[in-house]
Amino acid sequence: MSDGQIVISGLSKRYRSVRAVDNLSLTVEPGRVTGFLGPNGAGKTTTLRMLLDLVTPTGGSATISGRRYADLTQPLRHVGAVLEASSAHRGRTGRNHLRVICAAAGFPPRRVDEMLHLVGLTPAGRRKFKGYSLGMRQRLGIAQAMLGDPKVLILDEPANGLDPEGIRWMRDLLTRLAEEGRTVLVSSHLLSEMQMLADDVVIIANGRLVTHGTVSTVVDGIAHPGTVRARTPDAEKLAAALDADATVTPGSDGALLVTGVDAPAVGAAALRAGVELHELVTERPDLERAFLELTSGKAGVR
Amino acid sequence: MSVSTAELDRARAGALGLIRSELLKIRTTNAWWWFALGMLGWTLIALAFNMWFAYFAFNDPGMLGPEAGGFTSPEYHASNIYTSGQFLGLMFVMLIGILMVTNEFFHQTATATFLTTPRRTVVIMSKLVTAVLIGMAFAVVITAIDLAAGAVFFHTQDLGTMLGEWPVQRAILLNLVAFGVWTIFGVAIGTLITNQLAATITAAVLYLVGTQLAQVAFFVLSAWLDSEAVLHWQVIVPSTASQVMTLGGEGIPGSPEWWVGALVLLGYAVVAGVVGTLITRKRDIS
Ligand SMILES: Nc1ncnc2c1ncn2[C@@H]1O[C@H](COP(=O)(O)OP(=O)(O)OP(=O)(O)O)[C@@H](O)[C@H]1O
Ligand SMILES: [Mg+2]
Repeated sequence: MSDGQIVISGLSKRYRSVRAVDNLSLTVEPGRVTGFLGPNGAGKTTTLRMLLDLVTPTGGSATISGRRYADLTQPLRHVGAVLEASSAHRGRTGRNHLRVICAAAGFPPRRVDEMLHLVGLTPAGRRKFKGYSLGMRQRLGIAQAMLGDPKVLILDEPANGLDPEGIRWMRDLLTRLAEEGRTVLVSSHLLSEMQMLADDVVIIANGRLVTHGTVSTVVDGIAHPGTVRARTPDAEKLAAALDADATVTPGSDGALLVTGVDAPAVGAAALRAGVELHELVTERPDLERAFLELTSGKAGVR
Repeated sequence: MSVSTAELDRARAGALGLIRSELLKIRTTNAWWWFALGMLGWTLIALAFNMWFAYFAFNDPGMLGPEAGGFTSPEYHASNIYTSGQFLGLMFVMLIGILMVTNEFFHQTATATFLTTPRRTVVIMSKLVTAVLIGMAFAVVITAIDLAAGAVFFHTQDLGTMLGEWPVQRAILLNLVAFGVWTIFGVAIGTLITNQLAATITAAVLYLVGTQLAQVAFFVLSAWLDSEAVLHWQVIVPSTASQVMTLGGEGIPGSPEWWVGALVLLGYAVVAGVVGTLITRKRDIS
């Protein structure tokens, strides 16, 4: 089986007047978790569905390991997908839902129970889908995606509805899968989760690429350096002691937010002025902040 | 023992696997059960009625009115009794065909189905084959019931079983064909109208009253054009074509031969199937 690289080039989808995806080009590498981020209506789901040949692009192309999805000899063996609206027949049990897929793909039926066990649905697998909670539906979706032990995983908001334990389980699973050399492309709105999980991020807005790179280059790429938080009983004295480059704004909780100088400079100034310090931390810009700045003005549901 | 990657590598999606998958889709939901019960119930009612009708035709033809002449033929009654349950049975198998497709959209399982088998033509083909198998299975069960009950009935009328007559045998065989063709119709209609409610209601209404509506329309047209020949064209209505095929056109004035009905029906099934497949190939699954 070839390398598992995803290549999207010049991909576009137009629905009447809406350019859902607009000339999007990017590559997703194997062995890494890539977060796919963007405001509501940015075109994430549309992009992923075009990648899986469920939606026909109006322009450009998307390939997995150099082939269109429909041209893969064993699609489920190569690619596993959990899509936003992936669903099962309400009156069918989760286990039977997987059996149907296994039969069509030619996988051994034993695989069904193994996957139910993997996602912790062994007892619930014999109950009807209509009684499943949101998190149980997501777990069934993951079991479905893992049936073929695929080289590439594509997940659209998989953490949606999972409990804290489930989110942690999913994080460990995806990290492990990437470590095994698989490609993991996952869309999400949970930015702190993505910061922990992802190696690379792709941010899109209005169907167009905003930025693409490792989490740290994207976060550090935004213009502002870190803010220093300082807490002291004698705020005015500390502010006066800081040098001219520093800008001081009072924080909402009584702490001072200092920009323009780093934490050691603030500490030294406090020592010189003989001011007591109760807290001194550098607040690193995080993915959430980078995301909001990069997509501000471009957000807005179309 | 857990499934090895080698086993997964060897796995291939064959035609048999796809058909097994489609059969599993049907077996693992409750709907087919209701259809089976409905069909069984209707067949028993139709059998009782047809036997009652035949009994009077043989024993008290006066009761059927002055025009009863044509209805005293044992062959006619044998064809009728041995295909009891056809009228609603055909509708039921058509509805099963429709549900095989529209369920995928209603429950959004089309995503999983097309991810597993991205070649959509192959998916539709396996649905068509499965539909025919199911239609035939239902037809075989119904026919078995009809044969058992009918043979007993004709014995009581001192007519043997009537199963040696070619027109009777032909009616029984064409009944089986009709069940297959109408399930194909169902699948095709489902691909043309993916909205479950719209597809089932349209198809059921057209099936139940389509023949009558068409008959009225053709009579009006024939009177207006002052041409008897127009009536022959009624066979282009699918449910009429089906009747022409299975009953040799009893009760339809100027009826064409049974094979004209068969050809018309086949033509519709092919056109609907091809158009439905082309549409499904283009459709965005979102
Ligand atoms: N079938 C469709 N018909 C018309 N417009 C559509 C269709 N599917 C998507 N769109 C439009 O395309 C745009 C992108 O939608 P998409 O679902 O890809 O966004 P998304 O990034 O997944 O958003 P979210 O974060 O809310 O899931 C939206 O403006 C949406 O309204
Ligand atoms: Mg989405």
